[in-house]
Amino acid sequence: MADSDLKKYLSDILSVLALTMSAEGERESLGYRLIGTEGDIGSWGHEYVRNLAGEIAQEYTKRQSEEAPIDDLMELVQQIVAFHMKHNAETEAVDLLMDVEDLDLLLEHVDKTNFKRTCNYLTSAAKYLPGPDDMLVLDISYMIYMKFEEYPNALQIALFLDNTQYVKQVFTSCADLLRKKQFCYMIARHGITFDLDDEMVADDDDREALQDIVNNTKLSEGYLTLARDIEVMEAKTPEDIYKAHLLDGRASSGASVDSARQNLAATFVNAFVNAGFGQDKLMTVPSDSTTGSSGNWLFKNKEHGKTSAAASLGMIQLWDVDSGLSQLDKYFHSNDNPIIAGALLGVGIVNCGIKNDCDPALALLGDYIDKEDSSVRIGAIMGLGISYAGSQNDQIRSKLSPILNDAKAPLDVIAFASLSLGMIYVGSCNEEVAQSIIFALMDRSEAELGDALTRFLPLGLGLLYLGKQESVEATAEVSKTFNEKIRKYCDMTLLSCAYAGTGNVLKVQDLLAQCGEHLEKGDIHQGPAVLGLAMVAMSEELGIDMEIRSLERMLQYGEQNIRRAVPLALGLLCISNPKVTVMDTLSRLSHDTDSEVAMAAIISLGLIGAGTNNARIAGMLRNLSSYYYKDASLLFCVRIAQGLVHMGKGLLTLSPFHSERFLLSPTALAGIVTLLHACLDMKPIILGKYHYVLYFLVLAMQPRMMLTVDENLKPLSVPVRVGQAVDVVGQAGRPKTITGFQTHSTPVLLAAGERAELATDKYIPLSPILEGFIILKENPDYREE
Amino acid sequence: MPTVSVKWQKKVFDGIEIDITLPAYVFKAQLYDLTGVPPERQKIMVKGGLLKDDADWSAIGVKDGQKLMMMGTADEIVKAPEKAIVFAEDLPEEALATNLGYSAGLVNLGNTCYMNSTVQCLKSVPELKSALSNYSLAARSTDVDQTSHMLTVATRELFGELDRSVNAVSPTQFWMVLRKKYPQFSQLQNGIYMQQDAEECWTQLLYTLSQSLKAPTSSEDPDAVKALFGVNLRSRLHCQESGEESSETESVYSLKCHISHEVNHLHEGLKHGLKGELEKTSPTLGRTALYLKDSLIDSLPRYLTVQFVRFFWKRETNQKAKILRKVDYPLELDIFDLCSEDLRKKLEAPRQKLRDEEGKKLGLQTSAKSGSKDSDVKMTDAEASSNGSGESSTVNQQEGASSGKETHMTGIYDLVAVLTHKGRSADSGHYVAWVKQESGKWIQYDDDNPSMQREEDITKLSGGGDWHMAYIIMYKARFVSM
Repeated sequence: MADSDLKKYLSDILSVLALTMSAEGERESLGYRLIGTEGDIGSWGHEYVRNLAGEIAQEYTKRQSEEAPIDDLMELVQQIVAFHMKHNAETEAVDLLMDVEDLDLLLEHVDKTNFKRTCNYLTSAAKYLPGPDDMLVLDISYMIYMKFEEYPNALQIALFLDNTQYVKQVFTSCADLLRKKQFCYMIARHGITFDLDDEMVADDDDREALQDIVNNTKLSEGYLTLARDIEVMEAKTPEDIYKAHLLDGRASSGASVDSARQNLAATFVNAFVNAGFGQDKLMTVPSDSTTGSSGNWLFKNKEHGKTSAAASLGMIQLWDVDSGLSQLDKYFHSNDNPIIAGALLGVGIVNCGIKNDCDPALALLGDYIDKEDSSVRIGAIMGLGISYAGSQNDQIRSKLSPILNDAKAPLDVIAFASLSLGMIYVGSCNEEVAQSIIFALMDRSEAELGDALTRFLPLGLGLLYLGKQESVEATAEVSKTFNEKIRKYCDMTLLSCAYAGTGNVLKVQDLLAQCGEHLEKGDIHQGPAVLGLAMVAMSEELGIDMEIRSLERMLQYGEQNIRRAVPLALGLLCISNPKVTVMDTLSRLSHDTDSEVAMAAIISLGLIGAGTNNARIAGMLRNLSSYYYKDASLLFCVRIAQGLVHMGKGLLTLSPFHSERFLLSPTALAGIVTLLHACLDMKPIILGKYHYVLYFLVLAMQPRMMLTVDENLKPLSVPVRVGQAVDVVGQAGRPKTITGFQTHSTPVLLAAGERAELATDKYIPLSPILEGFIILKENPDYREE
Repeated sequence: MPTVSVKWQKKVFDGIEIDITLPAYVFKAQLYDLTGVPPERQKIMVKGGLLKDDADWSAIGVKDGQKLMMMGTADEIVKAPEKAIVFAEDLPEEALATNLGYSAGLVNLGNTCYMNSTVQCLKSVPELKSALSNYSLAARSTDVDQTSHMLTVATRELFGELDRSVNAVSPTQFWMVLRKKYPQFSQLQNGIYMQQDAEECWTQLLYTLSQSLKAPTSSEDPDAVKALFGVNLRSRLHCQESGEESSETESVYSLKCHISHEVNHLHEGLKHGLKGELEKTSPTLGRTALYLKDSLIDSLPRYLTVQFVRFFWKRETNQKAKILRKVDYPLELDIFDLCSEDLRKKLEAPRQKLRDEEGKKLGLQTSAKSGSKDSDVKMTDAEASSNGSGESSTVNQQEGASSGKETHMTGIYDLVAVLTHKGRSADSGHYVAWVKQESGKWIQYDDDNPSMQREEDITKLSGGGDWHMAYIIMYKARFVSM
């Protein structure tokens, strides 16, 4: 048939008819459309467009493989996308563009009405995309957010991508100082070190004010505001937590002599429960001049126990650098090495997440790194690691790196130095640090490689690549040359750290394969592999559910060393999120005949309930405390778990995820993973003399609050609705984002999976994600009714 | 001269001038004036380092308006307490054992739970322990044979060892001696020692102890075991055919609680047990006739042992079968109505005293009622004094020499130990001892594993199922001092 208008019209009609008539896979509808009139595509209806989009996707892959031109297709794509975007079908538009790999087109078609839904879809789809597509998708949504000046969301994505350039761009694009303050709060919550320059904020005073927010200097104040509002300032004693009176005299046999192990447990419980409140009933009670009762509790701990006791003061004064340092000062003048070590560690803990121009932690701890006594050295090294986690501070590197390659340094000092470097350079892929740790690993003797503490060397290395995916590959190659005793352990640790929080299915399969082998005794690499499964899968809900199921399998079929790690993996997956099914599994495992499994399960019960005051877990632990009252080690674990459940009297969370579970704080994850690795072999570490590794949890401790402040950053109480978050991705219109809500006035606590929204129109929040500190601006259009 | 501001604790000191030509020590002295912190305790942080006393300001490069941070307090430095704190972990085992509040368990040497539980129950009697500790070879009377002596010594040693150790004790020596003395316990079945009846073990052991502790030399305690556990019964025998009556007295170490269909409670069982029938040659009839025996308690022991007659010989199965019937027993037992008339009279006054004391404790004796009550008390007082002379003699005899205020029996007993059996026959199943400690806590001694129990769980051992059920229970007398 000759070319004519008629032919074109006929093709149009044939194209529409092919919608129902053509055979599967022929793509006739598309074929006729291409030779048709190219008129308004929408006039044939939605179903036609949808079908066409499907055929384009197929045609596109075919042409890609044949390397045929695709220009005509792209023209059609343009039309379809424009149509979809106009007709509330953003998800379909995005799907099509992802199929034809041309997301940039979106930028032209989004407008004020649909960009939010579009971006929402893009960001949640990113979780399920393979790399590097996910990055691309996030890039696009960042650009869209920037285009519509939705800076908080843009910043969120910039933080997710760990792209400092983007973060800067957010600051330079936004002119409003108040909004910048809100950005600073978001950065502070994420826990990264970020220096503002004059490009981002011109005025010196303003910059200082903003930097103060980034440095978290007001975190303590906000937290105490919350505590006062909820009326939980009254200090709690460990006995208040144990609630032994509910156990009808079975647990406490009225011991009149102090047990060092139990006192140590009480020290930790006291530290966790009163964390950040600045007062407690053991460590900060005013010392009366004759006996010095505050000293008393300290001396109720034995030898290395005193380290943890002294450091617990740092935990109680958490985030309050000024009073924390002055309280810890007295321990610096002690002549007892464990106490000095504790004071050093305490300084590190107080400064956790808080930055200060004077660098008090570095100034105070720096001199102690090279002292004679290794406990003092460890105290200083660990303190630096905690206070400067994520800072990538070169000055500290130059101090710590030499220790790693010092032939005379004892193994424990080297192990903690490696850990601290890993934390300070977490997720940085820093070559030099990696080299130092690799050399340190190669220098270890056969005997040293068998030591439980050696595991901290590969872990330090792994932390450098936390969440950095492929960047780990070079180092992973090098690790293959290590001594076989540590090689696999190192391999698993690197893999699990690098893909932590990515949800990468292929890596999950790799790790599962490792766990499937039945090994000879003595091989320890399956522990980190199991933990790795949880680390990789923990980023999104579906992955978590699948992982919980596959861990259940491992419990049934796995060897003992796998079973020991499974409770810990469960603990990581549901950290500060007590799911009933997981709770039941752990409760079952806490009575396991293998005491190591039981111990891990008990600690994990504490982890999943951390900071929730969950009554059910508290009850379980109470019963366990009477069940295990004769076994000092298990009882110690039960006590620690009780302390964790009531952490911060229920105001804290250990979850490394924040901002509606979108962002993962690398330092927080580093802290938790370190503790879990330590828990893989409890006896020599936590039950031995390195119990202070429990303090690594401080890196993940954050108030689970929503605190609204006015434009002068003073707390402002407004009504909010708090309820279970609803997934609104891909839903049309303006769906409700929360369900089953209750109305409170701020500040409020947010539990896992909960979301808040303002219940008043009087104020406008400067960030759409109502978590942490939120600045409220008065709504100019508000009318009092 | 640059001026700096110094932050110390929550305070900020603005505008402090630094003379950069002088060493830093001078600056610290300036701060000493402001804060009261002596210079040697000051830690001043400048750009990630500490300010040294002799530091040169020009080298540090301090700027105008710079902020410094100072740490330091004038507080007292912590000192270790004068007296080092003693930790449980450092204590020797004996000290730990006393600290634990209860003694160790006993290792099961192969079906020896009957013996273990018996030993644990008897060990809870402190008077028996002290009697044993006074026992020595020298004091041994000649009529005690060698094996009894050995068993007594072995018991003493075992009790001592249990008190000293934290971990379970293995009663090997005791067991050997027990089997030597009572060969019936060495019955073998399939090459291993058989399970035995705990009641038999209890009785035999107590008998041996009573024999060997019957020290002829010491005048004060003619028969220690009898004084502790012995119950004197006065029985009236009545022959229905001839109508003749006689009475006799006997001394037993335990009361029996017979279990029949009507018995639901210990009290009923005891009553049942004190009545009996026996065949005996009647002097008047000249042949054997059926006599009814009706016993009443004539004197009370410090420790009242009650045995539930749960086992009977079942001919069909050729074993001691068990009655599973639930028989409740109280934590506080009053046996007043099982006592003879004489004894009842003696008990009256102490019981009134006890009631008064309890009433006082509960605050029942209000002033309004006191008038009428007074007369009541006087009446009973009068009653009591009328037969007071007779009472003190017998009761005191059991008391031994107690100076000053005298203590009196009240006929009220508190439960202190329960020996339970789980299983269907006496020679099988498992025996466990449940013993009340001096602290008032109940400990379940399941061989080598002592564990704490609640008081309300103790009364749940009354039977009626396949759970542990009381077989022998021991009550301790409650005294009042008058």
